[in-house]
Amino acid sequence: MNYEKSVPKKANREGLLKRALHHENFTMLFVLVIIIFMVIAVEFIFTRQMRFEDVAFIKGMNISNVLMQVAVTGILAIGMTLVMLMGGIDLSIGQMMSFIGVGMAYLLKTAGWSEWSVVIAGVAAAVFCQLVMGFIISRTKLEPFIVSLGFMTIYQGFVYLITNGREITLMGKFTFLGKTYIQVTDTFRLYATVLLFILLVVIVWLVMKYTKFGRRVYAVGGNENAAYLSGVNVKNFKLLIYALNGIFVALAAMAQMSRLGTGNPLMGSGKEIDVIAAVVVGGTALSGGKGNIWGTVIGVILLGIISNALNILGVSPHYQYIMKGVLIIVAVLIGYYSGMKTKAVKKAAH
Amino acid sequence: MPHDLILEMQGINKSFPGVEVFNNFNFDLRRGEIHCICGENGAGKSTLIKILSGAYTQDKGSISIDGKTIENMTPRLAMKLGVQTIYQEHNLYPLLNVVENLFSGNELANGIILNKLKMIEKTKEVLAFLNSTISPYDIVGQLGSGEQKTVEVARAFINKSKIMILDEPTASFSKKEIDHLLDVIKTLAKEGISIIYISHHLEEVFRIADRVTVIRDGKKINTYDIQDLNEQTLITDMVGRDVSAFYHRGKAKIGDEMFRISNMSGIGVRNASFYVREGELIGIAGMVGSGRTELAELIFGYRKSFSGEIWIRGNKVRINTPFDAISHKMCFITEDRQNSGLFLDHTIVRNAVLASYAKSRKPIALPADDIRIARKYIKQMNIITPSIFQRVKFLSGGNQQKVVLAKWFATNGDIFIFDEPTRGIDVGAKEEIYKIMTQLLADGKCIIMISSDMPELIAMSDRIMVMRDGSMVAEINENEVNEQNILRLSIGGSN
Repeated sequence: MNYEKSVPKKANREGLLKRALHHENFTMLFVLVIIIFMVIAVEFIFTRQMRFEDVAFIKGMNISNVLMQVAVTGILAIGMTLVMLMGGIDLSIGQMMSFIGVGMAYLLKTAGWSEWSVVIAGVAAAVFCQLVMGFIISRTKLEPFIVSLGFMTIYQGFVYLITNGREITLMGKFTFLGKTYIQVTDTFRLYATVLLFILLVVIVWLVMKYTKFGRRVYAVGGNENAAYLSGVNVKNFKLLIYALNGIFVALAAMAQMSRLGTGNPLMGSGKEIDVIAAVVVGGTALSGGKGNIWGTVIGVILLGIISNALNILGVSPHYQYIMKGVLIIVAVLIGYYSGMKTKAVKKAAH
Repeated sequence: MPHDLILEMQGINKSFPGVEVFNNFNFDLRRGEIHCICGENGAGKSTLIKILSGAYTQDKGSISIDGKTIENMTPRLAMKLGVQTIYQEHNLYPLLNVVENLFSGNELANGIILNKLKMIEKTKEVLAFLNSTISPYDIVGQLGSGEQKTVEVARAFINKSKIMILDEPTASFSKKEIDHLLDVIKTLAKEGISIIYISHHLEEVFRIADRVTVIRDGKKINTYDIQDLNEQTLITDMVGRDVSAFYHRGKAKIGDEMFRISNMSGIGVRNASFYVREGELIGIAGMVGSGRTELAELIFGYRKSFSGEIWIRGNKVRINTPFDAISHKMCFITEDRQNSGLFLDHTIVRNAVLASYAKSRKPIALPADDIRIARKYIKQMNIITPSIFQRVKFLSGGNQQKVVLAKWFATNGDIFIFDEPTRGIDVGAKEEIYKIMTQLLADGKCIIMISSDMPELIAMSDRIMVMRDGSMVAEINENEVNEQNILRLSIGGSN
């Protein structure tokens, strides 16, 4: 049967709602909203006089902080989304962020470089590191998982070589990204990092939607072989994506360093897990070819909110790990079952 | 009973949705004989093997082994009854050694401790019996093709097989390896093991067979004792599918030379040369494994060529990657559309536009343009779908193939390479694809079509090139095209 012509004739508003319900990000967005309401409700019950103003979670100051924390992970997650969409993975980003961060701190403080030259050096170093790794991954059939695991360890070594395990304080330099903000209301601030994150998301979203490059990311992740036969230079394309990922890592390192005011050797450790979790929770398939940038935004915010809410509720950090892990698995399970449902619907329609 | 039959198949029927493979098929096998099965591509040889090895169950008919009727054949039961199948591709553990491969799954053991010495002893015995120089400790993946096949035969032998089925065992073998394998097979037959041997190579058939059965379109044509058989009879029996009822296409006006390759060599292809003109369709015939797909991949830049030249409209061009090929207006509809043609999880639109991106360096691709392109070609190809945003994995085989065609039409190419364009497609969709091809030719494009479907080749081609063992062995002009000629050249019969 040819339904093609009959579909657009249906009432527009109904179609819009239906399309929203069937959008691949809908389930996770729904979960996010529910969690926000749950957090508010629980805190409301636990506040002393059940006064709405006492709910710390929705205070302007807290929202500002959550957004700030989310932004750094988010910038990393944008790069990781690109890498995972084209079927790769990069475990090295956490240690690489530490490496780039302490490297820049070292150049600023010990070598006395100017801020702008440090920024350029940081981005260049990050892109170079990712090019080396991307070259190995794209030119061989080695698993990106293993290759990036190796690089992760290398960067860790560099971090300790540079810092000897001690942090490098910036002495009030390099404050732009992490410390400047727009005061929106009395308590709510929008930090520069948050704005940068939003800007990057919008840019990547537009690029994915309106350029050949964006469409090719999905093609390479969906079927590398078919992409190559359709005229995509798969090897160089992979290299390019890893190089782009380097830029995002460098930006995240700058933001984090600027916020902390020091080059901390531990500033990126474990970040790769948070980032991959956020991207996967956001609906991007580990096998590549499926997912989108808004899903990642939802995933990052979801994970950020959870740890913040648990902190406010005074849950011990030890329990937090367990609850976060459970949440990741639950989120992925929800995604899996809702994915199965849409499949069944489409099969029935066919 | 004059002969001791080990296997008897009677009245076998088997059909798949839309295709009837076997209708009342009979077959028997004597103890200790080498029985060759001959037939064209698609005659039903593989299905026969799969029924015997338990991979498929027949719809009707009976199989009896050693006088006992087998009701429900399963792979496990087949193995227990001593039916061992050796497929064309190696089916071994490449990282393990010979001993471990031979005894995997039925290791010799004392209690739970493996009896390695005994297994090694046994392996040596078998290898010596098969007159092989392989060491029990060799890692299988490092052995040559012929030696690996010997290991498989040895494994079947150790598992006490009574019936051994070999499907095209000598593909990609050197002459020496073939000689050795045929000797091994003869040795086994003398031991009383019955062998079903399937081969495209006439020479091998006449060297080892005791009896030969010819099948065509799922019917047994005849069974001969080898001394009563000559090459001519064999070929006449193999051909004879009804071509007259097949699609007839109007011939297009043939223009100037469009595309030429000379002396192309690469892995699996030796010194191939041919040319195609505007409005012309050349068919490439040959048995499975003769290097046809490899040749297409070579031309399209998917594989590296060792040597050779490509000329398009009289200009010499270099094609190193598929991107280069697309830039020179070439299109390649691959044999395996799911693995190398489509993005199954993506929508029709995404699939249809990707190749056209390679045409220009412009970085922007507006969704509205994509949808316009997709709509245009979906309409032209008559793809039946609820929406252009349908993911292609939910489409039927014929519609999927049309999406692949849409992808290439969107590049506005001139030189089309079709590799098995109608495999796994129902009759109606087939005819539509032939119509699309005919239209292409009428528009002055040229087509290179690889096909194992003999009627399709004969009906569609202006000329036919025949490949065998990686070489172009002959060119058949339109007035000499007939099934018998093609088949004789494909399997290496003399004129």
